[in-house]
Amino acid sequence: MGFRVQPGVIGCSIRPAIVTGQRSLEEIIYDTGQLALADAGLTIEDIDGIVVASNDQFDGRAISVMMASGSVGGVDRDIMSTPSASEHAFVLGALRVASGQFRTQLVVSWSPTEVSSLAEAQRLGADPYFHRALPLDELSAHALQAAALEHAVPGARQAADAIVAKNRAHGRIAFPTPIMPTGAGPMRWPVTPEMTSTPVTGCVAMVLAAPDFIAERGARDVAWIQGVGWATETGFLGDRDLTQAPALAAAARQAYDLAAITDPANAFDLAEITDATPYSELLAYDALSLCARQDWAARTGDGSFARDGRLPVNLSGGVLTWNPVFCTGMIRIAEIANQVRGKAGVHQHANARRGLAHAGSGFAMQYQAAVVLGREARS
Amino acid sequence: MSSDRVGIVGIGQSAFRSRRDDASYPDLVREAVVLAMHDAKMELDAIQAVVYSLSPDAMVGIGNAERLGVDAVGGRSKPFLRINTGGATGISSVAAAYYHVASGMFDVVLTAGADKVGECGDSQTVLNKIWDPSYERPLPLGTINMLAMSGVRYMQRYGMTEEDMARVAVKNRRHASLNPNAHLRKVVTIDDVMTSRYISWPIKLLDCCPQSSGGAAMVLASERFIRDNNLDAVWITGVGHAAETYWMGDRMGNNPTAEHADAYALGRSFEKSYRMAGITDPAKQVHVAELYAPFSNTEYHSIDAARLVARPGDSVPRLRDGEFELGGRIPVNPSGGTLCTNAIAVTAMARVAEVALQVWGRAGDHQAKGARLGIASGNGGDHQIFGTMVIEA
Repeated sequence: MGFRVQPGVIGCSIRPAIVTGQRSLEEIIYDTGQLALADAGLTIEDIDGIVVASNDQFDGRAISVMMASGSVGGVDRDIMSTPSASEHAFVLGALRVASGQFRTQLVVSWSPTEVSSLAEAQRLGADPYFHRALPLDELSAHALQAAALEHAVPGARQAADAIVAKNRAHGRIAFPTPIMPTGAGPMRWPVTPEMTSTPVTGCVAMVLAAPDFIAERGARDVAWIQGVGWATETGFLGDRDLTQAPALAAAARQAYDLAAITDPANAFDLAEITDATPYSELLAYDALSLCARQDWAARTGDGSFARDGRLPVNLSGGVLTWNPVFCTGMIRIAEIANQVRGKAGVHQHANARRGLAHAGSGFAMQYQAAVVLGREARS
Repeated sequence: MSSDRVGIVGIGQSAFRSRRDDASYPDLVREAVVLAMHDAKMELDAIQAVVYSLSPDAMVGIGNAERLGVDAVGGRSKPFLRINTGGATGISSVAAAYYHVASGMFDVVLTAGADKVGECGDSQTVLNKIWDPSYERPLPLGTINMLAMSGVRYMQRYGMTEEDMARVAVKNRRHASLNPNAHLRKVVTIDDVMTSRYISWPIKLLDCCPQSSGGAAMVLASERFIRDNNLDAVWITGVGHAAETYWMGDRMGNNPTAEHADAYALGRSFEKSYRMAGITDPAKQVHVAELYAPFSNTEYHSIDAARLVARPGDSVPRLRDGEFELGGRIPVNPSGGTLCTNAIAVTAMARVAEVALQVWGRAGDHQAKGARLGIASGNGGDHQIFGTMVIEA
């Protein structure tokens, strides 16, 4: 089965690290949405519908879409919210265009850092009887996954260290003048501070459109959605084998089937993968069929995923460079869209005709998504 | 590619109660899913994607509580996402499931959720947190005094009285007495309502919805799948959403962006749904309505916004005449509506489910005779985000 109408990305605004104190969250969201619209050459009057994604606990509000409605142009407009994950706003926006009932969608996600403790906010997402008392936050869950992988896959630690070096090198190119001081983040054994980054405030917006609208407006910088897949793991870590990512494998199959991709390892010019930790990136290589786990050490060691490698991964520097926690997934999708549109800036790939974006979020990457974007309307 | 239409093939609803000490939150979701799958005569393996319906996390005391409901909906390794538009979440979730199917990507999609409002402690304390922390939260606003202000304004503009409000409660309680799933099923009189204590003038205790616990689920499918599998279905022919300003102050000043007495964006949402369904004269074409009205006064501006009457305010005399009773011209909330059952995460889904049952001819003792086309609505946030649907046999 495929899209009734194939959506394309015609505008993006990625603001992965925002120095707060100058603008309120409402203003940050407004600024980001307006930048995406300007990138698409549109105004809010051209937008038929909006989907936003945010985390109520991070925002300190019971229904945070309410506050954002005005900022994104939702007043007197069709607006919905997917608080499960930032990438789900992209997914629903794409489905709405694909249904043929909307010509355009603005999708927006954000992640502030004003909450006194992100870890405590995340801990409220653990079930109150078993996991919350551990205490468990998302990084702890990632660390459990890392420990399981180190145990199960020889060379995983070495490969993780290589990914850290690669993504930090990419980050220095993408952001030669850092927006703010960063550096080592929090640690949970075996995830070291060098393997994470300090959470920052960020926001991302994308404009999706139907082919007839794109043709009518003569938009040329289009990243067509050739494939999209998303899936979830169970919520209980004890019910999962953390060395595997069956939900991502399922999401990848869905996306690849839609994009008619049969050899994923050789199908893409580049990829953005959610590296909440380098182990997340490794596991995604396997589940996305980019690199089998027995080859992790060799391929990360020979630079296959570096800037000049066979498949550059995270030219943006990834989450390791900027970590606006909740919206990192949609940022990965927007990064690939910009690469395909030739608008990625200093980290632009020379020939990005088709790219793969991976979004993962939640405890040990519970939610998974894969998005194939390309210059051609149909793969 | 799927055919154009999207059908409803299965419905499950809990018997809503104040408390469900026998069931955890995921248990309640599962209860509704089992009922819906049984109704659709399908196994969970047939479900290709899931839309999870959950409004404020704080009602169940778990952040992103949808993550703990994955197994309850059979969602493991399947496409799964959650919707939250406040009280509109249930109808927004059905709409999102609709877009899943209408996109051509899926043939069979489940939407499901549950709430334990009756066990959250105090829903108004939670709902105060929907407002901006600096300006409107400290007033302190809650959803009751917010809509009491709408009621006062409606009285001033259209002449609604407190007795008129009581008539809505009496009507809906009578309807709920016929609905085994309704939470408040005791019939009340106008005197009962008028002598109940004020909660926030002019809203009295019996003008208020309860805090309910329970779940709801629906199975949607493509027309092709329905035809190929010889399933019975009713059809979603109109879908819409629209929002108003977040700020209460912007609805009550000298130059309001939308009049707080009315439900401006609900009307805009209905315009979209009607246009999609080809409805030009809803007062004549609509047979039955389930309109989200958690307080008795808000049913009037919902009827107005749905254009079931000629002009705003006409709903008051028309309701006095019994036009919106079961057996009347257009029965409104024959299930008893939100006024008698409010498990917030799925309340607006229940509106869609109940209208679907009506046009299917399966509503039981609260069936509106001859209903073939119905409408449903949901309101979320601070009377801010509205979803609407048209359902046809």
